[in-house]
Amino acid sequence: MSAQIILPKTAPFDDDSIAGLNRILNQASETQRAWLAGYLAGLDAANASPAAPPAARPAEPLAILYATESGNSEALALDAAKLARKQGFKPTIIDFADLDVAALASHKRVIVIAATWGEGEPPARAARAYGALMSASAPALTDTTYAVLALGDSAYPDFCSVGKAIDERLEALGGRRAVERVDCDLDFEAPARDWIARSLKELAPEPVAANVVAVDFGGRVAGETSRDPVEAEVIEHVDLNSSRSSKETIHLALGFEGLAPAYEPGDALDLFPENDPVLVDEILRLTQLVDDGLRGELVTQRDVTTLSVNLVEKYAAATGHAGAKALLDEGRAREWVAGRQFVDLLEAFPATLAGEQLRALTRPLPPRAYSIASSRKEVGEEAHLLISAVRYESFGRPRAGVASTFVADRLKSGASVKVRLKPNRHFRLPENDADIIMVGPGTGVAPFRAFVQERRAVGASGRNWLFFGDRSFTHDFLYQLEWQEALAEGSLTRLDLAFSRDRPEKVYVQHRIAERRREIVDWIENGARFYVCGDANAMAKDVRAALVEAFAEVRALTPDAAEEQVAGLERSGRYLQDVY
Amino acid sequence: MTMTDKLSRNEHIKAESGYLRGAIPEELAQIVTGGITEDSQQLVKFHGMYMQDDRDLRAERTRKRLEKAYSFMIRLRIPGGVCTPEQWLKLDRIARDYANGTLRLTTRQTFQYHGVIKHNLKTTMQAIDDALLDTLAACGDVNRNVLATSNPHRSRAHKAALDLATRMSEHLLPRTSAYREIWLDGEPVVGGEEVAEPIYGKTYLPRKFKAVVAVPPDNDVDIFAHDLGFIAILDEAGEVLGWNVTVGGGMGMTHGEPDTFPRVADVMLFCEPQDALAVAEAVVTTQRDWGNRSVRKRARLKYTIEDRGLAAFRAEVERRVGKALEDPRPFSFTSTGDRYGWVEGEDGRSHLTLFIENGRLRDIPGGPSLLTGMRRIAGIHKGEFRCTANQNVIIANVDPQDRPAIEALVAEHGLTSQATALRRNAMACVAFPTCGLALAESERYLPDLVTALEERLALHGLAEDEIVIRMTGCPNGCARPYLAEIGFVGKGPGRYNLYLGAAADGTRLSKLYADDLPQEQILATLDPLFAGYAREREEAERFGDFVIRAGYVAQTFKGADFHDATGPLNRAVEAGA
Ligand code: SRM
Ligand SMILES: Cc1cc2nc3c(=O)[nH]c(=O)nc-3n(C[C@H](O)[C@H](O)[C@H](O)COP(=O)(O)OP(=O)(O)OC[C@H]3O[C@@H](n4cnc5c(N)ncnc54)[C@H](O)[C@@H]3O)c2cc1C
Ligand SMILES: Cc1cc2nc3c(=O)[nH]c(=O)nc-3n(C[C@H](O)[C@H](O)[C@H](O)COP(=O)(O)O)c2cc1C
Ligand code: SF4
Repeated sequence: MSAQIILPKTAPFDDDSIAGLNRILNQASETQRAWLAGYLAGLDAANASPAAPPAARPAEPLAILYATESGNSEALALDAAKLARKQGFKPTIIDFADLDVAALASHKRVIVIAATWGEGEPPARAARAYGALMSASAPALTDTTYAVLALGDSAYPDFCSVGKAIDERLEALGGRRAVERVDCDLDFEAPARDWIARSLKELAPEPVAANVVAVDFGGRVAGETSRDPVEAEVIEHVDLNSSRSSKETIHLALGFEGLAPAYEPGDALDLFPENDPVLVDEILRLTQLVDDGLRGELVTQRDVTTLSVNLVEKYAAATGHAGAKALLDEGRAREWVAGRQFVDLLEAFPATLAGEQLRALTRPLPPRAYSIASSRKEVGEEAHLLISAVRYESFGRPRAGVASTFVADRLKSGASVKVRLKPNRHFRLPENDADIIMVGPGTGVAPFRAFVQERRAVGASGRNWLFFGDRSFTHDFLYQLEWQEALAEGSLTRLDLAFSRDRPEKVYVQHRIAERRREIVDWIENGARFYVCGDANAMAKDVRAALVEAFAEVRALTPDAAEEQVAGLERSGRYLQDVY
Repeated sequence: MTMTDKLSRNEHIKAESGYLRGAIPEELAQIVTGGITEDSQQLVKFHGMYMQDDRDLRAERTRKRLEKAYSFMIRLRIPGGVCTPEQWLKLDRIARDYANGTLRLTTRQTFQYHGVIKHNLKTTMQAIDDALLDTLAACGDVNRNVLATSNPHRSRAHKAALDLATRMSEHLLPRTSAYREIWLDGEPVVGGEEVAEPIYGKTYLPRKFKAVVAVPPDNDVDIFAHDLGFIAILDEAGEVLGWNVTVGGGMGMTHGEPDTFPRVADVMLFCEPQDALAVAEAVVTTQRDWGNRSVRKRARLKYTIEDRGLAAFRAEVERRVGKALEDPRPFSFTSTGDRYGWVEGEDGRSHLTLFIENGRLRDIPGGPSLLTGMRRIAGIHKGEFRCTANQNVIIANVDPQDRPAIEALVAEHGLTSQATALRRNAMACVAFPTCGLALAESERYLPDLVTALEERLALHGLAEDEIVIRMTGCPNGCARPYLAEIGFVGKGPGRYNLYLGAAADGTRLSKLYADDLPQEQILATLDPLFAGYAREREEAERFGDFVIRAGYVAQTFKGADFHDATGPLNRAVEAGA
């Protein structure tokens, strides 16, 4: 009996063909296989010039660049590479964090997949290379053919602005655009798959005579995770803030039928929320729709809150509403949508809609990411999340964050919820003997609870220092009893706290970092990793600035030299952030 | 030493504390907890603070992975309760910056802060220091804040009383430098501590010790409720000739333990002004040496005197003073209340006494804004403020020019000097949610009960009658309920012991009338007595006297018989009460 034949998944066939070939080849007798090998070889030999033995044509190099914060672009880059390989490319995947912009010109074919963060900013790790690309020193790219895929969220006014800027910049530098850019919203999977296929086709080299392609068996993508949502059961649901607090932060323990998703500390879960039925009913009332099927679909499937200029355009087109048109014509739409939601549009410019129209106007309801706050080594087949309820008022209406208040208000113990693993391989614990400094105010503390659990479970010898902050010591000290225990038993080495509303002067984690600068610099110079998690807008920037300042003070460096110290930490993966 | 002679735990804590230091600084530095250890809790009392936790929140905390909602109550030491407008403004600021946004006037003429978290303690203490005030010995086994009558109409005697109270407070203050060291970042004192406490010694007193100074006919300081009292004996011109000295008063007792009881003080002797401090010190040191250091429940001076007898105690005091002293002189009190409204002093200056319900100064959104009102008054007032022992405040020595402005502010902020009759004679202790010892509500409940009772009284035509009513959340008696004509003492949630028959001048204790009364039955229990009072009282007869004369309840003659002959007497049973 001959050995099993299994064509690798990387074979240049699609999945169905691979399965089919495997089935046929494995059922074939030895005679049949020999015949096939001989036949194929003979065919080739007959077509080749006898002087030139069949030579492997080198696979076409393709650079796949990605700029990511939460891993979506990265995952797509990996998908693209896999497909590219099958189609005869030799892909190189390059994180913007490691990109040498000066060397960009050496790549003839380039795919860029870039996410937009903050308020129209590049992902933090990508900021340096992005800056270089935008600067005057960027190289000419006259020999380069490229394609850009932009990731974003149409809820933000600067939708996909980073992808757009890169696209324009590459063109300005002399590059040739192979395909039009696509701006993906949060439901990026299908459009991205489509775009990748088209790009590879456009970027493919001219057909050549060579008939044997060198097969790259290396570069296998490690640890792929299932992208399918799984059902989880809520086994604990408790608001960790005191009833006297102005905040509401839910500790949500999820259990799974069988195994929990194979998460590592630092990973997140995407949680698939449902809309507030009261809001959906209001939308149905405003559009004068009565349709129970539609109601259910709106609650579970459609994004009925986000309002963008694009949506106003679609609405104006669908309804012909003069008011909505005027908004657009007078250029006031961008300003008008800020702080408003879909329901405000319906209320301000009422129109009767058909169910189909409403469906077409809304985008699919995107899941929300939540850092996992537990380690499987400690909690077994559970995953814990820490979710802060978003509530505010704007334009006279109380507003509620879709996912966070779905969890806070409507997801009770015993209920089930769909989640999907969202790995973050850029936010991992270091070797067991390395020290870590964790800065995680508010829900930013979630992954650090996972870190401390993990390090306790594996008996890691590195020291663990946590900076936590929130509004009030008495009412908002998330997981206080657990930190007390961790300190007592030594799994937490140090704890510094910053509560902003306990006294007239506001104290934040960056102030504590400034106070402890000497020891922090000591720790870092001894190899400690520095982690930041939580609010991206203010906190993460202030913390980084505080660390730069700390180096400047303690080591008597110029601001530039201190900045370079921290940038160096970032480049070497010792300053890590997971911010949102 | 026999087993019962074993020193109480607190004695060891004091002895080993190095003059009230213990591990306080280290525990303040532990940021992960808002609490401190049991031992340190005992020690910080001497520095004027109690660790507490918000009892309203207790049930939810563990589930939320939070420790108890610890915070600290801080009590100031303000002899005679007198402070300046500048000080008021600073104290007000502290209340809003570091405490729960309230200033609490206490039954002992001072302020308390509630809700100061551990991490703000030092800053708060430094801010208090900045106001030239302190909290040293406001609590703990020492002589505490000394009261002086605050009723202002006898200007000269008031001055003398305040002067004695201040000197006594200073004289009996602990000398340890721990307070400066811990709170104000003073330098640690090396050596020399052996003589640090000439009056107290290493272990201070066996128990708390309270002193007051009164000027008849006002007994606003409730002199018989205190360990040590001085009653001014005046000549015809109103000058102080000397002082009658009282000893052995106290309120605290424990439910179900009849060897603990409230006691009115004995009037022990008369001393001349120049001997007053020496007498005070002798009383303190005798109690230091004679007091019970094994059983804390029996450690107050009142039990020392019960156990040793007044004569022996007096002899020892005289021995320590170094001379024989005279017997007490005649005096008489009329009332324990405050004189609300404007009062002219002998010196022609005006004083305005405001009624502050249960002493709580705060702003209620959409309601009265007492804290702001007082702050604005402090902003223009040029005289002083006096806290009263009835939890009220006097705006004293008002410049005639400022009167209209002050009156306008009083009206604007819902302050008042004209509460209804029962309400202005009402007092409740703090109890829930801060007091760790509370068994039932007090400050948060009495106002509503008074409203309900006032309706009843009005039906009986008694709306204008002065009846002293007091409530405490437990039998410790912080609002001196056993000296009230109607006293409620918490027994459990929503349940109270009802005491009746105390004298309105503060000289006679009450008697238990109804045990463990559910609060819903309070009105029905008192109504027949109000009816009887309206029908049968004699000219100017007080309710506290009436219930005894009319045979509703037995009279209490002295502390030791407080627990005897309790319950409604025949008359009450006949009346269907
Ligand atoms: C604030 C105040 C009541 C008020 O509503 O104003 C008060 C409040 C407390 N008293 Fe009091 N006492 C207050 C006047 C009194 C009085 C009245 C007086 O002195 O004229 C008494 C009765 C007189 C006496 O001492 O006998 C009083 C007898 C007690 C006792 C019982 C003492 C005893 O001998 O049995 C305790 C409990 C104890 O000491 O063990 C106590 C204990 C307490 C504590 C500290 C509870 C504790 O030990 O944990 C209460 C704090 C509650 C809170 O949250 O603020 N408090 N306490 C008064 C503060 C006075 C001050 O400024 O110093
Ligand atoms: C990788 C990652 C990890 C995360 N981890 C966590 C975590 O551990 N815990 C956690 O709680 N969250 C976490 N988040 C955030 C989380 O995904 C959601 O964004 C958040 O819960 C809000 O979602 P929502 O559906 O409740 O609100 P949405 O319905 O999405 O509404 C949020 C939007 O409301 C608007 N808004 C919010 N507040 C105001 C205001 N005050 N005024 C005006 N407008 C306002 C803003 O436009 C905001 O974008 C994480 C995000 C990422 C990307
Ligand atoms: C805090 C935050 C800010 C964001 N800001 C923008 C933005 O300004 N514009 C935009 O188009 N998308 C914005 N997004 C959406 C992301 O670009 C989108 O989630 C994308 O899929 C992330 O890709 P990544 O995982 O590769 O980082 C933001 C997302 C978060 C969580
Ligand atoms: S009487 Fe009791 S309940 Fe009231 S404050 Fe005093 S100790 Fe607390």
